[in-house]
Formats: sequence, C-alpha cells, structure tokens
Amino acid sequence: MSGSASTRRRFMLAGAAGLSVLVLPALGGCSSLPVIPKRPKPDLEDALGWVRHLDGRTTLYIPRVEMGQNILTALKQIVCVELGVPWETVDARLHSTVDITRVRATVGSESIKDFAVPLAQACAALRDALARGQTQGQLEVTSRPLEDLRSLQPRSGPQAQLPLEQGLSIVRGAPLYVADVRRQGQVFGRVLRAPASPELASTPNQADEAAARAVPGFVALVRDPMLTAGGSVGVGIVARTPGALDRIEQALSLAWTVDSGFEQATIDSAIDIDQRLAAGPRRSHQVHDDPVDTEGVWDVDLRFDVPLAAHAPIEPRAAVAEFDAQGRLQLWVGSQDVFFQRDVMVKRLGLDAKQLVVHGQRVGGAFGGKTICTVELEAAVLARAVKMPVKVQWSRAQEFQLGFHRPPSSHRIRARLKNGRLQDWWHSFASSHILFTAAVLPTWLQYLTNVIGDDGVARGATLPYRASARRTEFDLARLPVYTGPWRGLGAGPNVFAIESAIDECARQVGSDPVQFRLDHLTDARLSGVLQRVAAASDWKQALPSTPETRRGRGVACGIYKAMSYAAVVADVEVDVATGRVRVLKLWCDHDCGRVINPDQVRAQCEGNLVWGLGMALIEQLPVAASQVRATSFLHSPIPRLQDVPPMVVTLADSSQPPTGAGETAIVASAAAITNAIRDAVGVRLQQLPAREAALRGTMPRPDTAASPSSAPLRR
Amino acid sequence: MLLNVNGQSLPVPAEWRDETLLNVLRESLGLVGTKFGCGAGLCGACTVLIDGTAARSCLLSVRTVGDAAITTIEGLSAAGRLHPVQQAWLDAAVPQCGFCQAGQIMSTVALLRQTPRPDDGQIDAALSGNLCRCGTQQRIRQAVKMAASGTP
Repeated sequence: MSGSASTRRRFMLAGAAGLSVLVLPALGGCSSLPVIPKRPKPDLEDALGWVRHLDGRTTLYIPRVEMGQNILTALKQIVCVELGVPWETVDARLHSTVDITRVRATVGSESIKDFAVPLAQACAALRDALARGQTQGQLEVTSRPLEDLRSLQPRSGPQAQLPLEQGLSIVRGAPLYVADVRRQGQVFGRVLRAPASPELASTPNQADEAAARAVPGFVALVRDPMLTAGGSVGVGIVARTPGALDRIEQALSLAWTVDSGFEQATIDSAIDIDQRLAAGPRRSHQVHDDPVDTEGVWDVDLRFDVPLAAHAPIEPRAAVAEFDAQGRLQLWVGSQDVFFQRDVMVKRLGLDAKQLVVHGQRVGGAFGGKTICTVELEAAVLARAVKMPVKVQWSRAQEFQLGFHRPPSSHRIRARLKNGRLQDWWHSFASSHILFTAAVLPTWLQYLTNVIGDDGVARGATLPYRASARRTEFDLARLPVYTGPWRGLGAGPNVFAIESAIDECARQVGSDPVQFRLDHLTDARLSGVLQRVAAASDWKQALPSTPETRRGRGVACGIYKAMSYAAVVADVEVDVATGRVRVLKLWCDHDCGRVINPDQVRAQCEGNLVWGLGMALIEQLPVAASQVRATSFLHSPIPRLQDVPPMVVTLADSSQPPTGAGETAIVASAAAITNAIRDAVGVRLQQLPAREAALRGTMPRPDTAASPSSAPLRR
Repeated sequence: MLLNVNGQSLPVPAEWRDETLLNVLRESLGLVGTKFGCGAGLCGACTVLIDGTAARSCLLSVRTVGDAAITTIEGLSAAGRLHPVQQAWLDAAVPQCGFCQAGQIMSTVALLRQTPRPDDGQIDAALSGNLCRCGTQQRIRQAVKMAASGTP
C-alpha cells in the first residue's frame, strides 16, 4: 500500500494474444489435514495477469468474487480511468481457476484496499506501453506513488453515476448465478442426511431402495464416504428432474441413527458468561490486559447476549459438476473462494489441478457463509458416480441446518466511573469459533488453535475509549452447531456490547452520549465520523413522544479491522401497548479513506445498516432437538421492506489510502438502535433480538418523563 | 401439455409434468431469470405474473397453470426495450447481489398494473413478501416510485 515504494519488475508481454501474463500455480501436497484456504497477498505480477488488451479492447478478469459489493463495477472503473479508455471497451469478467493466478478468498472487506492499487499499477504500466506502441516483448514496470495513479485520485464535485456492471443482465434475468448453469444431459442430485447437526455423528439405517428405484425419473442411489460432512454420513440420490428428488426421498424413507443430542439450553449454558465468571475471573484469551480490581463495586454492570443467526442469502448454495470422458472435472460454484474449491477437489477426489477447472459465478449473497466447500463436493461426487453432469441445489432448510452461522456470544461488561470519566473497564465474553470454524476443523485440530485464540471472535473487542485500566478477555467454546464468519465477524456483537455499555456510562454520569464518547476517544477519524453524524442528524433535536408512542434517539460508533470507521444515529418509536419498535430513520457517516465509487460505498453502508437493524430487532436462529430448528424464513426472519427506514449516508472526504466498506457500519447500527430504545423507554436491551414483551407497557424513567429526548440525559 | 409463457406457446415434456412451475421454467424451458430462494413462497425470488397477477412459481404445480398467460422477467423486455420498472431499477442502482431482484421487479410490475401511483403503505403491502438480504430496500422503494411517476 505504501505509495512511494518504487519496485522495478519485468514482465513478459505476449504478442498475438495481446498484453497479458498468465501463470499457473504449482500444486500443493496431500496430507490428512483439512484443506486450509491459502491467503496470498496480491502483487504486481498477479495484477498484470488480470488485464489483457487486444485490438483496442481490454478484458479484465476481476481477481475477486462478485457477490453484491459490485466490485466488478469498481475495478472496471479503475481500469477505465487508469487506461483512459471508454467504459464500453472494457469487458469485465469473473474468473475461473485457469483465467488468473491464485487469489485469496473474497472476505474481510479488502477488495479495494488490497487489489485496487496493484490493478491501478498494472493498468498504468499497460497505458504507458500502449502509448509507446508496444504490444510485445519485455516490459519494465515501475511501481509508482499513489499520487501518480489517476484512478485513485480524489475527485471533487458531483460525479456521474456509472452503470452497474451486470446490472442489465440482472434486471433482464440473464443467466449469472451458479444454479443458472445448465449442461447438456444434466441431472439433479441431493444428499440426504440425518435430521441432526452435522457436528453429531449420524448414519443411515434401513431404507426402501426398491421403492426409490421405482419412482419415475430415478437415476441413482449413491453411497460414497466422500458424502460425509462432519459427522454426518450422507446418502446421495440422483434424478432426471428436481421434483423427482422429493418423491425418491419420500419413497426411500430412510431411518437414521444419531449419536447424542442437544437443545437450545445446551448452547446457552455452554457460552453463559456468568457461569464462567462464577468459576473464575480469568478468561483464556486477552485483548486488553491491564490490572483491574475485579472484586470492588461497579458503576455499570451489564450482561449482553447475542444469539445464533443465519447469513440467509436469498441464493441457497448450489453447484454444477461435470466430468468428461478423460476424467477431467468442470465445476461451477457460487463461492467466495474459487481456488479453495479447486484445492478441495484436488485433495478429496485425488485429481491433478490440471484436470480441473472451477468456474466462479456471480454469487447471490454470501456474507461470509460461502467460504467453505459443501454443496460443491456433493455435486462432484454425484457427477463422478453417475457419469453425467449433476446440479445440486440446497433447500432453504439445508441452508439453515447444514450451514454455519454467526456464533452466539455472551458478554459481561463492568465499568467504574470517576469525575465523569471512564476509569476501569472489564469486558469478559464467551463465543463459539469464527475463523477456526468447526465446519472445517475437527475437534482435535480446533483444540490446537485454542493456543492462538481466534481473531475473528476478538474482532471489534478493542476498546476505542480512554480508560485508566482496561481488561478485555474471552473464552472459546465448541458448540454442537456450526459457527463461523458472518458479516463483520465478532465486530458486530462485540461493538454492540461495548457501545451499549458506553452509552450506559454516559447516562450514569449525566453526560451527552456523543460528548461522552468524544471526551474518551483517541482516534481522530473515529471522532470525525461521530461529529459528522451528529451534525447530519441534528443530534440535539428533541423528538416528541405521545402517551401511546415513545420516541428516542441513539448513537453508536466503531472501527472495523483498524481501517474503517462508522458512526450511526438512530431514531426509534416504541408502541407502549404492544412493545413494537419501529426504526424511524438512520444516519451514518462512514470513513474508508479514498473512495473509488461513492454510490456503491453508500450501498454497502445501507446494507450494513439493515443488517444492524435485523441484528437488533429481528434475527435469531432457533435450535431444538439436536439441530437448527429453522427450516424456512418463517422460523428465522430477516428484515422486510416495511422494517427499513429512510437512511442517510454521508462519506468522509478523505485522502487516506482506500480501505473497506463491506462490514463497517454494522458495528454501529445495532447499538445505535438499542441505545435509541433506551432513550425512548428507559429499557436497556441486553438480549438480542429485542422482544416486544420486554418493551410492552414500559414507561420512560422518571428523570426523562417530560421528554425522553431532552435533558438531563443530553446535556 | 403447453405453457403460455411470455406470449409463446411452449411444450412441457412428459417427464416435467409433475414439477413445479418454477422447475419447469428454469430447468426445462431454460428461463432461469426466475429464481429458487426458499421453495415455500416466503421469499418472493420466484415471482412471476399469471394473467398479470404476481404469483409464487415455486408453490404452483405446472399442471394447475393451464393456459393462463405467464410472464417471467425475460418477458418484460421481450421487444428489446426495457420495461419502465427495469429501467428504474438501473437508474436507482438497486441491485447488490441481484438474486432477489427479478422477483422484486415482477412484484412491482404487478403492483403498478393495479395501483399506478402507490403510496408507501401499498408498496409495503405489495413487496413485504419479497425479501432482500443485501439491504437494498431503500433503493427498491425509490425505484418503485420512479417507475410509478414514469408510468404513463
């Protein structure tokens, strides 16, 4: 990212094929370990392979997965501006494993941060080469300072909105997604599993195979050890039509043996932070570790619980696999990591990487959930068995019951205040794993990772506020349901807990919640977003309440991955009779450094605000009878159109290097909403999502009875 | 068996007659713009128009459709020109992942056919069954209003 580094590198330029560099990576070895995603940093040599120029047209193979962040549009914009060529002359394409060299998974909001600069450097080099009339031979490329890259310069004034790449195909319904792939002679597959979490050992028992084979459209029954996922031994069925799969499944009437069992209470108890604190004050992993008196009296002492929640992309996982007569595999995926899918196929199916092409399709929402190999292996195993192209489409129930989810977490935050200032801070929490997900790692291997903790769980737990002493620590607990990366990882729940407790600290000392934060912040960029959102929302403005409906305002802010900043103000209305919460309006100020495409950064902020709203008010994935109980959106709802209020997003005018926007505002959105509820009715929400019963019949606290939105809480 | 889809009469092969309308559209006829999202009529991704009314194609047996006129997302711009609702979706830069948007557009077309100038409550009622996980709701609302004001 350093703008002044001046590395000279040499590149081979192809002649007839135009300008391009294509390097096929070497193969890795096999072992008994699970396949772990490789995470190379993109460099300039990689970047030249992303762009090819021939006869006045440029082809860009984007080194990222397109899953709604509209990175196709942003990277195409960089190519067009840097090369100085019209929008229509650039073809932006998604990559397969043979189009470009290995790139790491599209995760962590780093597509612009880590890929924009190498791409711009590569395009600047190509521009110079083309200007010299050079189309072949060896080209020397100099990495130039950020200021010399045209595509990364801050642009002042209003900018014309660029068309969304693939936008036209989306509104016309053209094939883009993995399930839209149709191969000649394609059949349909499904892997049947026990009605139990795949973390439990389960095996099929007797089945009526004759009845299954008699169903019209039956193709095959496939028993293959490769269909085992976690502890779940699966049975594959293949049919000529998707509907026949349902009839075959019914006719087969498989019985199952499931080893052990669990309920919601099992999970609640495993991560209950107070049970853990009762056993001892020390947790396994430290984020801050100042000496703090854990025994004395606390001014603020709050418990927060955030439940299991689903990614719930509208596109359920699917895959299409096809082997040719020579045993070569083509695999179409809707995955955040196209190269990881190849690695898994190589290892699990014993293929040579050269016998295999994985095609990355546009992903219909992922949010961290489509990072591992699940349905893809099912499709490949079934295709290999029946020697026909197979499409496997997961049902919504499979999404909920076989996927991994946002881990539940349980937090206890204690604070001491002195002279209006934060003195001691002790945040103790427990969560299931995120980066070292049980969906990939067996128990023994996950146990080894406990030595280093889990950065995903720790994310966002760093306190951005000044205090005399800070102690933040956590435990990890493997649960009988799979948990893993979910938008923002630990930052959503952790910052929700922190910002709720800080809000309570401000109220305890009678300080304005914005001013209290500003008084304790050390990072100027975080103070900046907070001040701007306060100005944009006219923060001190009072909201009129009625006897029937109480209105309140809340604020929260946070930093994501030490790179991006967001502050949110929420206005809410609580119906006193029903306890129903309506979010009236949300404001967000966002700082992710230099912005390439402001409209799509705003779109990411809007998405994050809606996710925070869902987290605060709606989302929870229930567990019962040894599995996720939800099988449809009825049991695991997500925000609907009528839940989403007007949102005003402002972007910081920054000359800092570009960072990421995909997971930032979620850290402030949920707490801004629950802080607004606190303001409206005096209830501190400690369990997400908000339950109407907890707010029904609530009245403002006596000190705010006249107007919950005015002094003394907001001096 | 014939289906009346986007103004064309299309044959349904014998093997596909016990399928849902969604499966037939996508896998037999290759009209993949209509999406599978939940299979229970709860997300709206599979929305098509049947005689001009929004319907969830994942819940309908293809046998029950008869000769009713089915319009899918592919049929909206059959003449090559975008439907005003499709254009509004582009003008408001609505799509993120885009997976739900065909269903959102079809529900909006049905709404504007019945109610050319919907208010917020009518928009909520018509589209509350069309889920979007990316968080494009604000832009969907904006696009519906843009399309409504541009609808002759």
